[in-house]
Amino acid sequence: MSLGIPDSPRVVVQGITGREAGMVVAQMHAYGTRVAAGVTPGKEGAQVDAVPVFDTVAAARADTGGAPFDISIVYVPPFAAVDAVSEAVEAGIGLLLVVTENIPLHDAIRLHAIAREAHASVIGPNSVGLIVPSRRIKLGAIGGDRPDRAFVPGRVGVISRSGGLTAEVGLQLRRRGLGVSTAVSIGGDALIGLEPADVARALGDDDETDVIVYVGEPGTSMEERLADAITSGEITKPVVALILGEFMEDFPQGTVFGHAGAVIERSQGSPREKKRRLERAGAMVAESLDEAISHVESEVSR
Amino acid sequence: MSRLLEHDAKLLLAEAGIPVPRGQVVTSAAAAGSFARLLPGGVVIKALVPANRRAKSGLVVFAAGAAVEVEAARLLSRTFEDAPIERLLVEEQVAIESELFFSIALDKARKSVVALASLVGGIEIEQTSAESPQLVGTSELDSLRGVQPHSFRQLWSALGLSGPALPAITDVCVRATRVFFESEATILELNPLALVTAADGSAPRVVAVGAVMAVDDNALARHPELAPLALPDRGWRPPTPLERRAMDVAAFEPYRGTARFIELDGDIALLVGGGGGSLVFFDAVQKAGGRPACYTEIGGNPSAEKVRQLTGVVLSCAGVRGLLVGHNITNNTQVDLIAAGVVQALEDLGMDARSFPVVAREVGTHDEAGRAIFEEASVEYLGEESTMDDAARLIVSRVAAAGTAAAT
Repeated sequence: MSLGIPDSPRVVVQGITGREAGMVVAQMHAYGTRVAAGVTPGKEGAQVDAVPVFDTVAAARADTGGAPFDISIVYVPPFAAVDAVSEAVEAGIGLLLVVTENIPLHDAIRLHAIAREAHASVIGPNSVGLIVPSRRIKLGAIGGDRPDRAFVPGRVGVISRSGGLTAEVGLQLRRRGLGVSTAVSIGGDALIGLEPADVARALGDDDETDVIVYVGEPGTSMEERLADAITSGEITKPVVALILGEFMEDFPQGTVFGHAGAVIERSQGSPREKKRRLERAGAMVAESLDEAISHVESEVSR
Repeated sequence: MSRLLEHDAKLLLAEAGIPVPRGQVVTSAAAAGSFARLLPGGVVIKALVPANRRAKSGLVVFAAGAAVEVEAARLLSRTFEDAPIERLLVEEQVAIESELFFSIALDKARKSVVALASLVGGIEIEQTSAESPQLVGTSELDSLRGVQPHSFRQLWSALGLSGPALPAITDVCVRATRVFFESEATILELNPLALVTAADGSAPRVVAVGAVMAVDDNALARHPELAPLALPDRGWRPPTPLERRAMDVAAFEPYRGTARFIELDGDIALLVGGGGGSLVFFDAVQKAGGRPACYTEIGGNPSAEKVRQLTGVVLSCAGVRGLLVGHNITNNTQVDLIAAGVVQALEDLGMDARSFPVVAREVGTHDEAGRAIFEEASVEYLGEESTMDDAARLIVSRVAAAGTAAAT
């Protein structure tokens, strides 16, 4: 199993008493992923979908058997995210899924620095989650209340900047009789933890994945780093890539479309350049979502 | 990202103990003239607009004597991005010995904060850094533990700076870094940073002659003192009346649903989402030969009323001949509410989907109810069996066919 997630992960949700977190915990339980504990300062003693709530991550750990949590899903408000991530890594958590949107940039930099020092991995911020259909692992809102509609077990690894498109790719694969090994919404922000290249490396090492499909967006240089990782042979599976937002090149630099990260600055981050780089590295670059799915199909049947 | 006007940035620098030129903000040529007469030498007149590279756009001029009022009047008669220039910053001209460059910015690839320095500052710095990168030094700053002065001493010393100028410059860099972190800036650039030698041989003065500063919108809520100074950086054009209407829609029920809208000049209105889905539809419509009348993004489970209002905006774009409604399969957005809002807006405007092409591609929460609402109103509904590209091609062909029918 990739990304260091065990078959039955011990999951804690920070900020569990929020409206969205409560809804997602119920969805996860319905899918088959159990949440062991929740944390909201000042709400110890409460329950969310039968999950006990604690004031601190340390207390949650101690009172639920004492073993470290495998993953924390972070649903706290934007200004509380650095604190939450810092608390999680101090409690020995090695993988964080940060759902929170609109985290200030200085906080995002600190959050990633804290995780880096603790050798913890961060998915997100601004991720809708991760799903492993064969093991009924759903972390976060990914797939909504009917995850089976978009995600059936299979051998395609999905990585997407956009949460909604992570599910759309799953749905389109299912229509063609294909399924998903692991799908990861890596987050649409400019500063995210696990980048496309990191997740592609992990899926490359995953024996349940045959092909990787990546959906990228304008802005940042993450696709360029993915191309470098393919070129250097670090990614051992075929990669199908779709880079959205070519139309943005006709707009003045700095115009923001879609996600906060999707902004072309000083001619960096242009979709056409990303496509050229990925193509040269040997990825199959698609011109549309339909074509991306066809590329996956042809790769799987080879 | 929001920009601070230069005088606001300099006020923050001055409060942090960084010398800035004597200056005054004026709104008339006469006031520019009277301030200039208080100064011994010539002045620099800068248009106060939220933009980079003003010198290259003629928005910064040097003048002395009677020319001050003439130049000020000329700048005040100009416009910037269709908006009149209303305020000028008039500053003393500093006798510059050498023009340095110092900048602190977020490095998104490294996920860190980086300081850049060069002994060759001025308006050509971008060219310098592109053509002679060895003239620009870089230092990564520790955002967890703060920065010690030696980081900057090393940076400048490696570039060749020595003597009493070195501690003087280092001190300014330390202070600027404090401003950067305390304001949660995304960039703080001092350029030119002037070195002014004292005639009596005492320590040289360092003056921030030019300053550029931008701050993070997501952090403004905890900087109430900066919020009123921060100007949204569109860098393109002021919002159109329809875009202003869309902003009002977005502000309505601010905690439920995102709504963004940019007016364009095509003929197919797009009411699409989410963040990535809207990019897919936009690319797909263009690649199918269609011309979008707008870029929109609606998501985050908006209410039917919010959808109705935004649809009203989208359909008011000049020359609209068709509407595409669509999302990627939704995680939580309710399709029935999208359908109800769209159908209501069509009714409001007296538009009939039997003659005005409307294609909807909506899959997800409550899509069966959504399908019923769309189909009842004669909207062409595509569900789970379709792709987003199918929907884009369909609306383009429907609009083209309607055009042909109208021509015959």
